[in-house]
Amino acid sequence: MDPKDRRLYLLLVCILVAIATVGMIAPGTEDASIGATLSAIARLQIRPARLVNDFTRAESPGAALVNAALVAGIGLVLVRLNGVRLAGPTVAAVFTLFGFGLFGKTPLNFVPIIIGVSIAARIAGKQFKEYILIAMFGSALGPLVSLIAFEIGLPPALSVPVGLLGGVAVGVVLPAIAFVMLRLHQGYSLYNIGLTTGFLALFAAAIVFGRGGQLPGGAVWNSEPTLLLILLVPAVSLALIGAGLLQNAQAALRGFVSITSIPGRLPSDFMDMVSVPAALVNMGVMGLLMWGYVIVVGADLNGPVLGGIFTIVGFAAFGKQPRNVLPVIVGVAAAALLFGHELSAPGVILAALFGTTLAPLAGEFGFAIGAVAGFLHLLIVLRSGAWHAGIGLYNNGLAGGLTATLLVATIEWYRANRQERRAARAGSYAASADGADDEE
Amino acid sequence: MKRKDFVLHLIGEIAHYVLDADPMRMVISLHQEKDGLHLAVIDSVPREEEELESIRRSLNNAPRPEMAEYYGSMAGYDSLGSARLNLIGWQVKGADVTSTSNGTKIDLWLGGDRFDPESFSISDRTNKEA
Repeated sequence: MDPKDRRLYLLLVCILVAIATVGMIAPGTEDASIGATLSAIARLQIRPARLVNDFTRAESPGAALVNAALVAGIGLVLVRLNGVRLAGPTVAAVFTLFGFGLFGKTPLNFVPIIIGVSIAARIAGKQFKEYILIAMFGSALGPLVSLIAFEIGLPPALSVPVGLLGGVAVGVVLPAIAFVMLRLHQGYSLYNIGLTTGFLALFAAAIVFGRGGQLPGGAVWNSEPTLLLILLVPAVSLALIGAGLLQNAQAALRGFVSITSIPGRLPSDFMDMVSVPAALVNMGVMGLLMWGYVIVVGADLNGPVLGGIFTIVGFAAFGKQPRNVLPVIVGVAAAALLFGHELSAPGVILAALFGTTLAPLAGEFGFAIGAVAGFLHLLIVLRSGAWHAGIGLYNNGLAGGLTATLLVATIEWYRANRQERRAARAGSYAASADGADDEE
Repeated sequence: MKRKDFVLHLIGEIAHYVLDADPMRMVISLHQEKDGLHLAVIDSVPREEEELESIRRSLNNAPRPEMAEYYGSMAGYDSLGSARLNLIGWQVKGADVTSTSNGTKIDLWLGGDRFDPESFSISDRTNKEA
């Protein structure tokens, strides 16, 4: 393994082990024994996982952190075993797994989807590593496994096998849909699997609830986060910045500055395009900025909010930087204020964080388009969760993908016609071609 | 993806890149064999060495199987924004980028392990013609 890759693996392993250890010894509950935390982790595997189930409250902050580290650790092992380079997209996937391990993903509901995608790879005659990103991000449909296995009331002997099979089945169809969705927004929404899993979740919800009726939403939201949860992001961010600066501080800072001018459209691997240290600094800076925003608006630093921040930290190696996320957050905040929502309300804070999936629109087309994207995103995301009964964990990815598709289609249409009109005015061949068509 | 679709997407993306420079002439030549193929794109736009080097870097990037299959599928579908040669680079075996007397020639080599680019002569011929 390349020494650079080895250092990056070491850094991520240290972060995950440190978090898991802290989670084990400081659970933040009355019964603070390791045995109690292990029991809580076991209970997390069989509890509902649909949006929004904050594991830091459903069980304990310690159990949620260990569960998240486990989920991310499985992702990291998959990357290593398949010989895939640990770089922008894989780092983004590992941090996303960690973030959602705090509110929805568990090893039990995540692994069947990985198996499904590996079957799809075999059907297509591909190697699993060619689909590994789809598999890792595709675990957003984990709640479907939990829903069938533990929520809808099937006989116990049947529910778990059917739930696991359901996860495998969606995993098999994921790649086919993911490719098509990518072309819809042309890489202007970073969470393409969010659009994919959201789309699939619409069908999954329709099938599961085919006989009518719905399960109660039952949102679990921790409004009293412990100090451990509050300080987690700054600790990880400073570790990332320190690791980046340690290698070559001046080059890392120079690289960070150059990252802020990259539009971020998929696939923009900052670790490849600039350097690993510069991307690490960007990840740390983004973590601190987002943490600061949450503190300033007075939102809760609980499982889902930390999930949003850690997803941004991961994608700061793969498309997000301070300049392209700012307009989107401004747009979300503007929409919230205009329509009378508090900036710290659960839906709004999650939209501000996860809505940064639209950062490439701001990076490519400027502040105004980015802000419009953020504005529209909030309005759509507040509704889209109900469409799939919270089965797709990347609800913001679904809403962001739809928003990006709308804007990309409109911009494309406008630009193409403006160009044609200009050409017609200038009397170029485009105009004559139009004329020829008219005559026919 | 069928070979025909794959080639069409590669041609689409590389043509997108070349047409962004508004050339007066663009020639696309394809030579297929059992184990591989050679795609040559020649245009009438002289480019600075710096730009040629940047094209070379994008087209000869390290193998990234996780990117090639998934994100590489966007190649040839870009209608908004600039062309992205790295989408091609992840999917081809190698690429040569050379300056001709009045433009640029990009050779893309694709194929399996048994593929031997030496059996193709179009590269030398087109260089001489140019």
